[in-house]
Amino acid sequence: MEPHEFKLNEEGLRAVLPPLEAEIMEYMWKVKVATAGEVYEHMKKKHPDMRRSTVSILMNRLCERGLLKRSVETGRGGMRYVYSITTTREEFEKRIVETILNALMSNFKEATFAYLSKIKK
Amino acid sequence: MLKFIILAQLLITLLYLGKLGLAVILGTIAFLFLTYIWVTRHSLTRGYSKLQWEEMPWLYDGIARMANKAGIAMPYVYILDDYIPNAYSFGNSIVLSLGLFEVLDEEQILGVAAHEIGHIKNGDTILFPLMAYGRYLMLFLGAIIIVFVHTTIAVLASLGLYVLYEIERVKFLKEREFKADETALYLLDRPFSLKEALEELKYYEDLRITVRASALPGIEPNIERKQKKSFMDTHPSYDERIWKILAEIEGRAFRDTLK
Repeated sequence: MEPHEFKLNEEGLRAVLPPLEAEIMEYMWKVKVATAGEVYEHMKKKHPDMRRSTVSILMNRLCERGLLKRSVETGRGGMRYVYSITTTREEFEKRIVETILNALMSNFKEATFAYLSKIKK
Repeated sequence: MLKFIILAQLLITLLYLGKLGLAVILGTIAFLFLTYIWVTRHSLTRGYSKLQWEEMPWLYDGIARMANKAGIAMPYVYILDDYIPNAYSFGNSIVLSLGLFEVLDEEQILGVAAHEIGHIKNGDTILFPLMAYGRYLMLFLGAIIIVFVHTTIAVLASLGLYVLYEIERVKFLKEREFKADETALYLLDRPFSLKEALEELKYYEDLRITVRASALPGIEPNIERKQKKSFMDTHPSYDERIWKILAEIEGRAFRDTLK
């Protein structure tokens, strides 16, 4: 997943993901594999009014972004979708930094280079 | 009404094209019949899994109970690998997408299944394909008349009949949706579960449109992102269905108090 926008006034994952999607990813990086129902139970603790539909839509949105993948699991409870992470949090953060720095270097090369050199010192 | 419209189109074809018209009619009907056979044999290909009792006894038993109450044979139940909540029926089969199981609870899923059993019970799973093929027949005969018949009255009459068929078809399909809901209310132990399912599905669709719209590039004007409601929609809106269900439940409760 390549971040397409970076919100300067947001903290952490919220800078590159909408707030609820960021919360879901925080949880998914912790558990690695989960059903939408399990994520819904987790999210409901903080957002009591949240509906199953919201979680399902956001998780499928995260699949479209390439951060989660969906697979069908057949178990005792019948068929169901299971979601798993496609990348670790560290890899994701590394990719964000690389993407942003690449964009800065191609658009404002001298200023970026000068600033990075200053930081290094 | 629909069969009279088709009959009128057939008469125009026979009247103006004679033997050629008869050959066209018989050829088209034979082609559509073969297409129907092919489609029914190949309708379930990939992504479908036939439900076994051990997988979801609550669903299997619930559907069996409602089918028994409706006086129909136990339908085949298929689970479709699709994350979008969806359900439909054909022949004596019900298809439920996996997406339904993510957004609805067990009672609400049975509510959706009851609506599909309603379609089977009311004969819609036979009527709907017939109407679809009737539409192709109308369209094809209309095109033949335009090409081979050079009489303005015949061309206008044929086009008029096709438009009339479309209007009547949409009206009829909407009525059948309401009828399937009515049957479902009779079949369900808790009729409100269908209303709740529709409310959740409406919420899902509205939210999905919003999420999709917010993901589009910002230069697109918001007004163009709204989903347009077409007068040719074959399904009534969720709101219309919910209102009718509420009216039906209230009506039944009132009738019960009078008894």
